[in-house]
Amino acid sequence: MSEFIETRGLRKVYHVGGQTVEALQGVDLEITKGDFIVFMGHSGSGKTTLVSAIGGLTRPTEGTVLIEGNDIWKLNDKELSHFRNRKIGFMFQSFSLLPTLNVLNNVVMPAIFSGNSGEKDSDALKSKAISLLSDLDMKKKVNSFPSELSGGEQRRVAIARALINDPEIILADEPTGELDIRTEREVIDIFSHINDVYKKTLIVVSHSLSWIEKARTIIVMKDGLMYKDLDDPVEAIMSGVCKQ
Amino acid sequence: MKILKLSILELLRRPKKNMVIASSIVIAVALLTSLSIVSNSANVAIMEIIAKTGHTLTVRPAATSAGTNAEDKGQEYKLTTSEVVLGSHIPETAVPEIMKYYDKAIKEGWEKKSGLVTNPGIPETSIEPATWAPRLFEKTEVNGQEMIVTGIDIHKEYFVRFWWNLSSGEWPADTEIRDVNTSVSTLYSIGSDGRVIVDKAEYGVDSSGKLIAAQEKKARAAPVKPIQKGWDDAYLGGAYAKARGLKLGDRLTINKTEFTIRGILEETNSADDYMVFILLSTAQRIFNKEGQISMVSVRAMCPNCPVGDAMVELNKHVTGITAVSQLDVAGVQFDFFSMLYKFLLAVVVSTIAVGIFSIFNIVTGSLYARIREIGMLKAIGASRYQLFRIFIYEHFILGLAAGIVGYVLGLGMAYFLNTLLDVGAVIRITTDFLWRGLALGIVCSLVAIIYPAYKLSKLKITETFRTQWES
Repeated sequence: MSEFIETRGLRKVYHVGGQTVEALQGVDLEITKGDFIVFMGHSGSGKTTLVSAIGGLTRPTEGTVLIEGNDIWKLNDKELSHFRNRKIGFMFQSFSLLPTLNVLNNVVMPAIFSGNSGEKDSDALKSKAISLLSDLDMKKKVNSFPSELSGGEQRRVAIARALINDPEIILADEPTGELDIRTEREVIDIFSHINDVYKKTLIVVSHSLSWIEKARTIIVMKDGLMYKDLDDPVEAIMSGVCKQ
Repeated sequence: MKILKLSILELLRRPKKNMVIASSIVIAVALLTSLSIVSNSANVAIMEIIAKTGHTLTVRPAATSAGTNAEDKGQEYKLTTSEVVLGSHIPETAVPEIMKYYDKAIKEGWEKKSGLVTNPGIPETSIEPATWAPRLFEKTEVNGQEMIVTGIDIHKEYFVRFWWNLSSGEWPADTEIRDVNTSVSTLYSIGSDGRVIVDKAEYGVDSSGKLIAAQEKKARAAPVKPIQKGWDDAYLGGAYAKARGLKLGDRLTINKTEFTIRGILEETNSADDYMVFILLSTAQRIFNKEGQISMVSVRAMCPNCPVGDAMVELNKHVTGITAVSQLDVAGVQFDFFSMLYKFLLAVVVSTIAVGIFSIFNIVTGSLYARIREIGMLKAIGASRYQLFRIFIYEHFILGLAAGIVGYVLGLGMAYFLNTLLDVGAVIRITTDFLWRGLALGIVCSLVAIIYPAYKLSKLKITETFRTQWES
């Protein structure tokens, strides 16, 4: 596997209520293509800030984010939007689906912004969306609305939407948050399936230890610093003491 | 699916909030539409009347108001193509004196060329003697029902009221006898060149009122009055004929005298529509008003005729009469409507300003409630411009819909305002009002959205997800 994502000296400083908070303290990271990486750590550890900087959502105070050798933070708004649209499939814990759209339209929504929603592309897109939904066991729900779906089903739809533009990276923030254990297991299995079958690079932020079993790489974040290749990541998270 | 469809679905998602936003716009559009329609209709009505009667001066007895009843007293300064004066009269002998002052004022004032409109059919550089059309009004029974019967000199009347048309029947021929001088038993006629011709009487009536031929008259011992040809002809206003189901050739009994309907006028939206017209000489005879008239309409025969100057001169020098210039009345009416329009426009603009401010507040609140959703759309690839388009489409549609509803409401309000303000204009609706209403609706809606939409589309994604992405 070759180097795919690279961060160099990534720093992010927030100014909150007159105080300065250093969310990232010079993070150097390399992610290989096809990796299944899970960022873990307590709230405020900087894991979401790091992932959002990689995903083109939060501009770092210092440092670079290189994806396939290109610094994404040198792109303008339009280029960055296009990058997010084509390169990354996002999945969020909540506020993920638009309640006015049915499942099918929610899945094809990223295509609206990539300009692939014309008459010609429409049928192909819908076929692709239905195929993805079938793969996620959601074919019967294509015409349902988000309010008619369970939490697990909503996550599946969000996964299908993240895959619709065939991005190389799937970036998920707490994709199993607020789910019961059984449903959480199903969602983790789907991510594992996406990594195995679709060969996507998965970057997940989670508090849940259930991911450890399936993830290829576990990174623990603490006070804006990154700890990789830990002997016992569970112990590190639980004790808050990270030793490499 | 396209961005437009997404905007429509988002719009339908919040019907109550959008209804509140739309209602402010609807009120603004309805107010402006109704005001514009009424104002425009009033102005058009004034201009039409001026175009018809702009160079007309009306002379009526002093201390009388135009109108048929107490409610119409206010018509003194009401612009109209026809008015009615009842109960007071001007002796025909006063007309030469009136004409003298009139001619003097016109000749002196003509060089000023201070009129509002040109005079239809009159050459730009000529000044001709005015045409004087006398009328005698009498409220009497026509076929058993009370009506206003008007005695007119048909040729003069037709020349002054050149907009008159017959929907059926015929006017008397151009060389018909036009006046009677009973004292000299001489008949006057007007030729095709407009000049008065002295002529012999062809018909007359005996002392009992029976029609006799002129030749027969000579053979009789008793003196007979000469009578005009067609003395028993009647012409009806269009609305009256329609209401009574009368047609050409039907007989009318006016003050116990039989008349035959020779013509029915097309409607002119004036009091003429409800009148019965007979010859002035006949009216004077059957109503015992010999030598009396109720009013005279004077059509000045020059372009930019200074009829206002003539009006001032007549009112100053001739006692017992009131002269009213249509141009002067038009000026008063224009000023009134202009002032009313400005006042109401200020009210409407204030309403719109307040409306836009409330819409701005509601829209800002509404958009910030969607902040996480906006963040999600940005995260999955929506650019600032695409997000901005979503908001603009939503509010364009909202403004358009509110504009349509406001326009329809405005039409209804225009009829209401027309009655309430006693404008009395025929409401004229053109597509211009629709476009203006739609434009106002869209502009109001977009003005309210542009700033919050711009700010939101510029928000950083992490600001929209603060609780989630900055944990």
